[in-house]
Amino acid sequence: MSLFVQSLVLGVLLGGLYALLAAGLTLYFGVMRVVMIAHSAFLILAAYLAWWFTNETGLDPLLSLVLTVPLFFGMGVVMQRSLISRLRPATLTMMSVLLTFSIALVIEGTLGFVFSGTQRRIRLDYGGSSIEIAGANVAVVKLIAFGLAVVSLAALFLIMKKTQFGQALRATIQHPEAARLIGINTERVAGYGFGLGLATAAIGGTALALDSTFYPSLHWHWIGPLMAIIVVGGLGSIPGAAIAAMVLGMGQALLQIPLGTTWAQTFFYIALFATLMVRPQGFFGGRLAQRF
Amino acid sequence: MKVKTPHRIAGLAVASCLALTACMSSGSDTDSGEDGTGPIKIGISLPLTGDFSEPGKGVQRGYEAWAEYINENGGLLGRDVELTILDDQSNADRVAADYEKLINSDGVDLVFGPFSTRLVVPAAQVAQDYGFLFVEPAGAAEEVFTQGFDNLFYAAPAVADDHYNYLADAIEALPEDERPKTAAYAAMDDPFAMGTAYGLKTRLEEMGVETVVDEVYPPNTTDFGSIAAKVADSNADVVVGGTQYQDAVNMIVALQQLNYQPKMAAFSTAPTNPEFPEAIGDKTEGILSPTGYTPEADFPTNQEFVDFYTELNGTPPAEDEANAWTTGQVVAAAVEAVECASPDPECQGQLIDWLRENEVDTVVGPLTWDAEGRPQGAHLIQQYVDGKIRIVLPEEAAEADFIVEKPQW
Repeated sequence: MSLFVQSLVLGVLLGGLYALLAAGLTLYFGVMRVVMIAHSAFLILAAYLAWWFTNETGLDPLLSLVLTVPLFFGMGVVMQRSLISRLRPATLTMMSVLLTFSIALVIEGTLGFVFSGTQRRIRLDYGGSSIEIAGANVAVVKLIAFGLAVVSLAALFLIMKKTQFGQALRATIQHPEAARLIGINTERVAGYGFGLGLATAAIGGTALALDSTFYPSLHWHWIGPLMAIIVVGGLGSIPGAAIAAMVLGMGQALLQIPLGTTWAQTFFYIALFATLMVRPQGFFGGRLAQRF
Repeated sequence: MKVKTPHRIAGLAVASCLALTACMSSGSDTDSGEDGTGPIKIGISLPLTGDFSEPGKGVQRGYEAWAEYINENGGLLGRDVELTILDDQSNADRVAADYEKLINSDGVDLVFGPFSTRLVVPAAQVAQDYGFLFVEPAGAAEEVFTQGFDNLFYAAPAVADDHYNYLADAIEALPEDERPKTAAYAAMDDPFAMGTAYGLKTRLEEMGVETVVDEVYPPNTTDFGSIAAKVADSNADVVVGGTQYQDAVNMIVALQQLNYQPKMAAFSTAPTNPEFPEAIGDKTEGILSPTGYTPEADFPTNQEFVDFYTELNGTPPAEDEANAWTTGQVVAAAVEAVECASPDPECQGQLIDWLRENEVDTVVGPLTWDAEGRPQGAHLIQQYVDGKIRIVLPEEAAEADFIVEKPQW
């Protein structure tokens, strides 16, 4: 029983982290049909920046967010305007895979060159500490990562629903031509949307760095599961990605008990195949994904 | 007339290309061979890029240091040694093609092995087909020795399954009521990492230590919380990790987060890494790890190796460098003894036969091999004592006392 409760708690925390890491990925696709292979490379880049920040200043890695979030937002806008917007709309989705794949390689190579391939970890005084809730140990760092996920996803939700920019962004997602007709500068909105996605990578990467060892090529281990999450959740749907992340994270943690790690990990891909067979547009994507 | 710099550079480049081609074309036929003139050419393929690039580069540093040392000290059979190192990109198809090329078109006199089981097996097959002696620095898993190779020798103290032998002996020597009762095993799905954990598992089960958790995880596992939850829930007396690096660190932190306090904790590879205490902080006390090499060991040639290597590279050698150096020592001992170094099958056969029969003194201790090439030793056991990693077993090599009951982490 206690193992079940413990695994459930771990699953919820893991699901929250997955949701944060996948949020940007689904946003890019929603905004401009871009399959962003480099998203996880940016996560690792953010993790390295948090590590470097802590090493240089001795301050808590969370404070690095003050710098990395605006930096990543800016990089996202520049990347969209200078690279992605130059791809031909007809082949955008496919070519974006190639383009962002190369960006991922550039980031990986640069990280390896600057910081070497050695595995890094941020040493935190509270790294191993935990609090006990209902008989389950909840690691402080995992709780912080979960908190970051909740705050960022809530902020993202509010931006999308309550602000004028969010309305413009959603209009651009739903129907770019119509959005242009009513006077939305869809190109600029798309640039900001991309920046927003990359800003979530800054937060996600920092959350990841709190409780994990990282190295330049780690991003290849992440991109597969994250892609599976956004397909199951429905491409372009942020709540969909969050729910799918939660379900898959909890499923993975609970299946671990009877099946062991190897099979628990295949759960992601079984869910992916099942989704593609039964409901290819994903469980929450609906109308949008059907067009592609 | 003054020549413009770009032109000069271009001229230089052309000239060096020509010089390089000249060297390459002269390689296979003329300047080396049984007549004993020219350098002894040694062919090696290493994973300098890709998954194993970090250890691959370590092995490269070891080989290059060894060659430089030999050449500074009169060479081998009075001839210089010359290394040809190719990059196999950590790719098993590539490594076989590399050794084909080294033996066939580059006409090397000897070959040294690559890094890691996955690359050693295909490479050894090629060497076997050409009758070449194949001494390798890093293929410790059992599957290396069950392929029927009769030319292969592993240049390290012990195969993966025997890494923990001294620890198992020490546990066996405890009075029965002080021995651990239960054990949890978590191993990466990798022949080497699993071999170490399961070697100890076999020994402990023979002693009656009950296995309560036996988890295998894929190399790309990113979340260790669930594995740790299983181990913590079992509350096993001993936790054994068949680990590489990041998995060990992440698992140890996850176990600490769950407030699991084993009486004994042993992890392969990671704890001997200098990064490890930096990652774990002050919670390393009592963690055990087998090691095939330490610069402090007082084997006859070791001090010279450490000094030479440190002067060359600025840092003392680690295990990968030491195993590469050991490979060089093993081959050199055979070459000196039978007084030949040529691709000729008769010479290679003599080298192989000599190593079957004889003991070689190396920086990791005296080595002998069984018929399949398994070295007949065990690894030293190191433990974090007072915040430093020290040899604790076997007693005759110990730098500190073995802590039987691990303090809380």
